[in-house]
Amino acid sequence: MSALLEVEGLTKRFSGVTAVKDVSFTIGAGEITGVLGPNGAGKTTLFNLLTGFVPSDGGAARLEGKPILGSAPHVIVNLGVARTFQLCRPFHGMTVRENVAVGCLAPRVRAGGGLERRVAEILEQVGLGHKAAQPVEILPYGDLRRLEIARALATRPRLLLLDEPFAGLGAGEIEPLVQLIRRLHDTQGLTILIIEHKLREFMQLVSRVIAMDFGEVIATGAPADIVRHPKVIESYIGRGKHALA
Amino acid sequence: MSATGKRNAAGAAVLLGLLAALPPLIHNQYFTGVFIVCAIDGIWAASWDFFSGLTGRENFGHALFIGGGAYAAAFLNGSFGLNPWFSIPAGIVVAVVLGLLVGFPTLRLRGPYFALAMLASAAIMQQVAINLWQYTGGTEGIYGLDTLVESSLGYYYLVLGILVATVVVLSLIAKSRWGTLMRAIKGDETACQAAGINVTFYKIASLAVSAAFAGLGGVLFAQYQQAVTPSDFDVFLSISVIIMAYVGGIGSIWGAACGGILLNLMLELLRGLGEYRLWVYYLILMVVLYFMREGFVAPLWRRLRGGQA
Amino acid sequence: MLTVLIYGAVTSAILAMLAVGFTLIFGVARILNLAHGAFYALGAYCAYSFTALLKLPLIVSALLSVGIVAVFGMAMERVLVRPLRQSSLAVLMITLVTALTLEQVLFVVFGSQSKNVPAFVNFPLDVGGVSVDGQRLLALVIAVVLIGALWLFIQRTRLGSAILAVSQDPEAAQYMGIPANRIFTLVMGLSAALAGAAGVIAGPFLSVRPTMDQTAMITAFSVVIVGGLGSIPGSILAACIIGFSQTLVAFYFNPEWTGTVSLVAILLTLVIRPSGLMGRVVNA
Repeated sequence: MSALLEVEGLTKRFSGVTAVKDVSFTIGAGEITGVLGPNGAGKTTLFNLLTGFVPSDGGAARLEGKPILGSAPHVIVNLGVARTFQLCRPFHGMTVRENVAVGCLAPRVRAGGGLERRVAEILEQVGLGHKAAQPVEILPYGDLRRLEIARALATRPRLLLLDEPFAGLGAGEIEPLVQLIRRLHDTQGLTILIIEHKLREFMQLVSRVIAMDFGEVIATGAPADIVRHPKVIESYIGRGKHALA
Repeated sequence: MSATGKRNAAGAAVLLGLLAALPPLIHNQYFTGVFIVCAIDGIWAASWDFFSGLTGRENFGHALFIGGGAYAAAFLNGSFGLNPWFSIPAGIVVAVVLGLLVGFPTLRLRGPYFALAMLASAAIMQQVAINLWQYTGGTEGIYGLDTLVESSLGYYYLVLGILVATVVVLSLIAKSRWGTLMRAIKGDETACQAAGINVTFYKIASLAVSAAFAGLGGVLFAQYQQAVTPSDFDVFLSISVIIMAYVGGIGSIWGAACGGILLNLMLELLRGLGEYRLWVYYLILMVVLYFMREGFVAPLWRRLRGGQA
Repeated sequence: MLTVLIYGAVTSAILAMLAVGFTLIFGVARILNLAHGAFYALGAYCAYSFTALLKLPLIVSALLSVGIVAVFGMAMERVLVRPLRQSSLAVLMITLVTALTLEQVLFVVFGSQSKNVPAFVNFPLDVGGVSVDGQRLLALVIAVVLIGALWLFIQRTRLGSAILAVSQDPEAAQYMGIPANRIFTLVMGLSAALAGAAGVIAGPFLSVRPTMDQTAMITAFSVVIVGGLGSIPGSILAACIIGFSQTLVAFYFNPEWTGTVSLVAILLTLVIRPSGLMGRVVNA
């Protein structure tokens, strides 16, 4: 399997605190990989670095051989990397359909005449087809999540970064979302990188886990091994065992 | 056309009919002059609302574009004696250049820098117009410009026509994909970037369009008054434009245009109050800001008309 | 040379008083208070009314004036600004309208002629061979004292810590039991008091007319932009830079161009480094 994303020695400092320290890993095309770690481990900063929302202090990242660090966020999206946010960020004052349409207007997609059709397709894929005309303000949180993903999908990404997609969801909403992500992976061959700090949800999804703590990668491997890895357990014990549940 | 669309068209027709018919009916040169300024205010307000109403980025120095267009007209026609019709493209170009100069460094940034930069730039240009009095006539300004159309009524129809064209063009853009992107920028800029949109480019482009029409209005104003003064850059003008857009309905281009017309009419009617005119003006602004966050004209029409938004 | 130094210092001091208040309320409450210049004008006119018209003792009228401006500022925040806080455009507009209305009031009540405000210190003092107008030196001293006091207050007291907390994250501060809204009002009062004090102390030697708020506003702007919005040290540093530049221009070129100095400073900053000397760089 060819490497889709290569990260080497990625570093980020925020006035005295090293949020991401010399992080290196490789993501193969078509994999679903998880980034695991307690709060403050540097996971979201890692995403922000890879998607251009935060400038790096060192290291490199390459998407299919092309360097992406230091580019503006919209440039990186148009190279094929899309992300969702931990706290959903819909476009207020617009409908569900319009939200997704914006993603389709990215230069990479150039939907042209097929804009409406493509928007409808994506909404069907995530299960929001019947809510296309609704204003985002009235959507329940689970649907906002799906909208986030739909908007990211609209940009035709090669690599999809999901930042804590299960955060804030009720028990009944998590399983359908797991199904959705699996379906997107299986039908479109999307490469997916998921941040979570709750193991149970993404144990079912990911084939490989990168564990982080204090900005460093402390272990990588199959989910079953990572859960038993002494360093990973240690990173959680200090913050309460229930975090691993 | 949908029912809503038909009602919109009917409303527009009635409004336009009124605007076209009133001045000849009243048959008073002074009032025609008032209407001319009303229409120009409409152009200014609509152009302001196009940028700030749609993207949500506050422009506090719209007078920069107005004065820029006006002084361009003054130089070409007043100082160099060129045919006044050349002032129109000149004014537009000057306004757009000013918009790019200010927008380029500041629209990239978060925070109030853009709003402050616009406010400061208009003030700077006002000072420059005063200080460089050998070229600009100082506080007296430049006078003796030629008019575009001899008869008042003729000038009015010219301006009214341009106003209609302005509203149509800006509304078309607002309804197009460009407009959708502008509204997305207002909704959440960061998410917009995450959707692959070059937000800075669209902000700058939208500002340029806004500037172009404002400058056009500035030229029309200058050629009508047949003079320009530094007060064409004044902060009072900038906020008047904002009030007009507020009253008309932020985000609604035709509403903003109506706001411009209404507010100037009101200012005229208040002339009898002498010194207290400004008080009432400010009071109205406060009332609008407090109780009519969405504006007045456009929301009112929506309620009267019924149907979908 | 020494004259330029001293006059430059005095100008810088007044500018610093104006700028610190403006940057403070922005840093804490994210409010761009366009009525700040009006506070300055109000301070000067109050001082004029109390000393020249009502013949009150100087100290009394100074304290009263500052007090009135502070109360005015707090009232404006509480009544006009707080309800509109969700829209920064509305807040900008309402402060601007307040400024314009106040300008009109001053114009109607006092007329458009410049007023002469009696100085607190009427005699010139000798500093290193240069004769300097006592009032100016007093202004310099008062500015340093007030700004120093403000700095100590914020750094050393509990209330000061609360203010810092609110400026970093109002919501988080509220979870810790700090009443953010009341802090905003308090800080507005402090900001207004500083501006009013500047008006009181500078009134005797700077022009007092209804439009004085506009020049003050533009100059305060320029200092705050050059120094970096929200940074008090930045404002002080920028005040010195712009104050000395203005003095140099006035002495060696033409006093009329001092206004242009501030405007040029704004332009340069926005083009080269928009976040100012000590502001945080925030890219959209």
